[in-house]
Amino acid sequence: MEERTRAYLRGRFRDHYRRTEITPPPAANEREWGYIPWTEGPDTTMVRHRSLLELGDLSEFLVRKRPQHVYFSAGRFRDPGASSMHAKDWQSADLVFDLDADHLPSVTLGEDSYAEMLAKCKDALFRLIEFLEDDFGFEELEFVFSGGRGYHVHVRDENVLHLDREHRREIVDYVRGIGMDYEELIDTETVAGLGRKTPTERRTLEIDGGWGARTHDHLMAFVEDLLAMDDEDALERLQEFDGIGEGKATATLNAARNNREQLEAGNVTVHTAVSQLAERFASQAVERDNAPIDEPVTTDTNRLIRLPGSLHGGSGLKTVRLERDELVEFDPLDDAVPETFRGHEITVDVTRGGEVELGGDSFTVTEGDQSLPEYVAVFLMARGRAEKEKE
Amino acid sequence: MQRLHARYPFLEAARDAVATEAVDLATVVEQDDAVVDRARERVVAALEDGETGEPRREARVELLSYPVARVLVSMVEENILVRKYARAEAATAYDRFTADLEETTELKSVESTGLDLETLLSEFDLHGDVRETSGGYRIDVGTYLPLAEDCWDDEWRLVNRALADGEVPVSEAELLVLLQEAIRSRIEEGLPFDVPEVIATALEEEEAEIRDVLADLELTREIDTVVPDLFPPCMKALLDQIQKGEHLPHHSRFAITAFLANIGMTTDEIVDLYRVNSSFGEEMTRYQTDHIRGDSSPTEYSAPSCATMQSYGDCVNKDDLCERIPHPMAYYEERIDDADDDEVEDWRDESDEGQEASGD
Repeated sequence: MEERTRAYLRGRFRDHYRRTEITPPPAANEREWGYIPWTEGPDTTMVRHRSLLELGDLSEFLVRKRPQHVYFSAGRFRDPGASSMHAKDWQSADLVFDLDADHLPSVTLGEDSYAEMLAKCKDALFRLIEFLEDDFGFEELEFVFSGGRGYHVHVRDENVLHLDREHRREIVDYVRGIGMDYEELIDTETVAGLGRKTPTERRTLEIDGGWGARTHDHLMAFVEDLLAMDDEDALERLQEFDGIGEGKATATLNAARNNREQLEAGNVTVHTAVSQLAERFASQAVERDNAPIDEPVTTDTNRLIRLPGSLHGGSGLKTVRLERDELVEFDPLDDAVPETFRGHEITVDVTRGGEVELGGDSFTVTEGDQSLPEYVAVFLMARGRAEKEKE
Repeated sequence: MQRLHARYPFLEAARDAVATEAVDLATVVEQDDAVVDRARERVVAALEDGETGEPRREARVELLSYPVARVLVSMVEENILVRKYARAEAATAYDRFTADLEETTELKSVESTGLDLETLLSEFDLHGDVRETSGGYRIDVGTYLPLAEDCWDDEWRLVNRALADGEVPVSEAELLVLLQEAIRSRIEEGLPFDVPEVIATALEEEEAEIRDVLADLELTREIDTVVPDLFPPCMKALLDQIQKGEHLPHHSRFAITAFLANIGMTTDEIVDLYRVNSSFGEEMTRYQTDHIRGDSSPTEYSAPSCATMQSYGDCVNKDDLCERIPHPMAYYEERIDDADDDEVEDWRDESDEGQEASGD
C-alpha cells in the first residue's frame, strides 16, 4: 500500500469516527485494549496491554488514533493495563464464538464469492445460535458482524464467565460434535424378557437433549419419509445404506409401521437394523448440524476481539452489533457499508479488478484509473487491490 | 455435632469448630501425640492405599488430625502428594456419605451423625445449580464442567450429554461422583501452604517418615519421570517431529508441551529436549511452556484427552493400551507403573552428556 493511500484511509477513518457514537462493551475498564495503527509494510504490530484509562475516552481515542483495527479482550482483569498476563490478574471472560468463512467446510475458497461466503457463514451462525439458545440456554448474547469474513457471538451469562480454557474446549467440542460417541448417547436398561425367562436389554436413545435428540430428529425425519413412500421405494431407499440388505430393510419398514411409538420414544432395540440406522444418523447429525466455529477463539480466555462499531481496516466495512431479530434481514455487504463512504465518488488506480458486490449493487471493476463510489474504492484499497490516484 | 465434623473434617462447620475450640495448632502438635499420630497415618495411608486409615474413636483426635495432616502435606511440598492425599480424603468422604445416604433413606433417622444430600449440596453452594427431576438430577452446565473436569471417561464429556436449556442431566450415582470431585478440589485448595516455623519443627520426624514412604513407593516417579520410550504413541510422534525440526500446528505443539509440563518437566528441560534441532524455536517454546504451566497465564493447562487428540488428527499409531485409556497421561502412568525399575531411566539423568554433545 502506498503512503498516499494509507494517508487517505487514515483521514477517512477519522472522519467516520468523528460522526459515529461507539457503545463500549460492558465492564470496558476491566478489559485489555489493543489496536493496529496504519503503518508501512505488510508487518502489522499490535499495540496492546492498554487499559481504557490509558486510552482515554474511547470516542476521542478513535478520532485521535483512527486505527486500522481496534480490539478489546474477552477477559476481564484486575489490572488490564499490566504488561504480562500474569500481572493482569484474570477474573473472568466472556465466552466468545467466531465463525470465519475461511474455516467453513462448506465454503470453497477461490470459487465462492464474498457474498456467498458470508451467506454460508450466516447459515452456520443460525446453527450455532440453536446450540447456544436451546442446548445451553444462554440469554446474554451479543451478535456481531466482524466487518470481514464472518460473525462473532459474545456470551455474557454469569454462569459461564468463570470457565477456564479446558472447560471452554468442552463447549467447543459440543458445538462441533467432536468426540461424540453413539454408544454414550444410549441408556441401557435391563427389562424382563417378553414371554421368555432371560432378561433382555432395552437400549434407548437419549432424546431429551444434546446430540441424542439431534440424532433422533434425523432418524424420525427419515422414518417419516419412508412411511410416505410405497413399499418398493421404501425398501430400495433402506438398502442404499451399507450393511442393510433386503431382510433388514423389511424389518426396519415393519418397525416403522408397527412400532412407531417405540421409535418415537427413542427405543432402538426394536430391531438391530434400527440401531444400525440410528448410529448412521448420529454421524449425519454431526455432519449437518455442527457449527464449525474457530476453536482457539473460544478457548483463549485472554483473546482480543474486534470492537463492534469500529471499522475493519481490511475491508473498510463496519463491525456491526446486531439484535437477534435483525439477523435474518441483515445484509453485510449493504448494511455494513459506513454512511461516511456513501454518496460520492473518488478516483483510484485499480491494480486488481474483478466483481465487487457492495452497497446493494454489483460492480465489474476494470484495472487502471477510474472514478468509483467511495465505499467500493475504500474496500479495494483496504484489500490492497487499488491505490489512491496520484495527486 | 463433633462426630459429624470428625467424619467430614473438610466441612466449613468443621473448620469453624476447630477455630472456636480455640485450639492452638502449635500446642496440639507439640503435646497431643494421638492427634499427630493420626495425622501421620492419614497421609501415609493416602500414599500407600489411597485411603485415610482407621478413624479414631475419640472425635476430637479425629477432627484435629485433619488440619495437622494438611500441615504435613504442606511441609513435604510435593505435587504428587497433594494430589494423592486429596484423592484419598475425597474417596473416604465418598464412601462415608454414600453409606450415610443409604442409611438415612433406610432408617429415616434424623438423629444420625450422617450427612444428607441437601447439606452436601449447600456446603458446596450447589443448591441453586442442581435440580431434582423424576429420573435423577439436572446440573447447570457452568457448574457441571468444572466439577467433571477430572472425570476422564467419555461418558462425562459434554458432547455425550443430553444438554438442554443449560442443564446437564445426571443420575444420582453421577451426582455423588461429582460431589466427590467437589470435595477433592476443596481439599486440594490452598495446598501446600507456608507452615510456621514452630509447627514445622515439632513435626520434623513425621515429615521425614512421609518423605521416606514417598521415596519407597517411588510415587514421585509415577509422574515426575521422563522416559520418552514409555510415552504414548501420539506424544512420541509429536516429539519426534519437533526434534526433526518440523513445523507443528499450534494445537499439536500445545499437546506435546502440555504433556511434558504435566509429567513434571521444567521449562528449561523441555527446551533442552526440543533442542535436538536448531529450528525448534526456543523463544516460542519458553513462552508456551510458561503459559501452560500457568506462570504467565491465569490457568494451568493439562494435556488434551484422547478424544481431543483424535479430533485434531494427532492420535496416531494406536496400540492395545490406547484402547483402554481415555487420556495420554493415563497411558504414561500405566506404562511407568508396569515398567521394572531397571527399565526406567529418567531422560534427565543422562541428559548431562547429551547436552554437551549437542553443543549450545
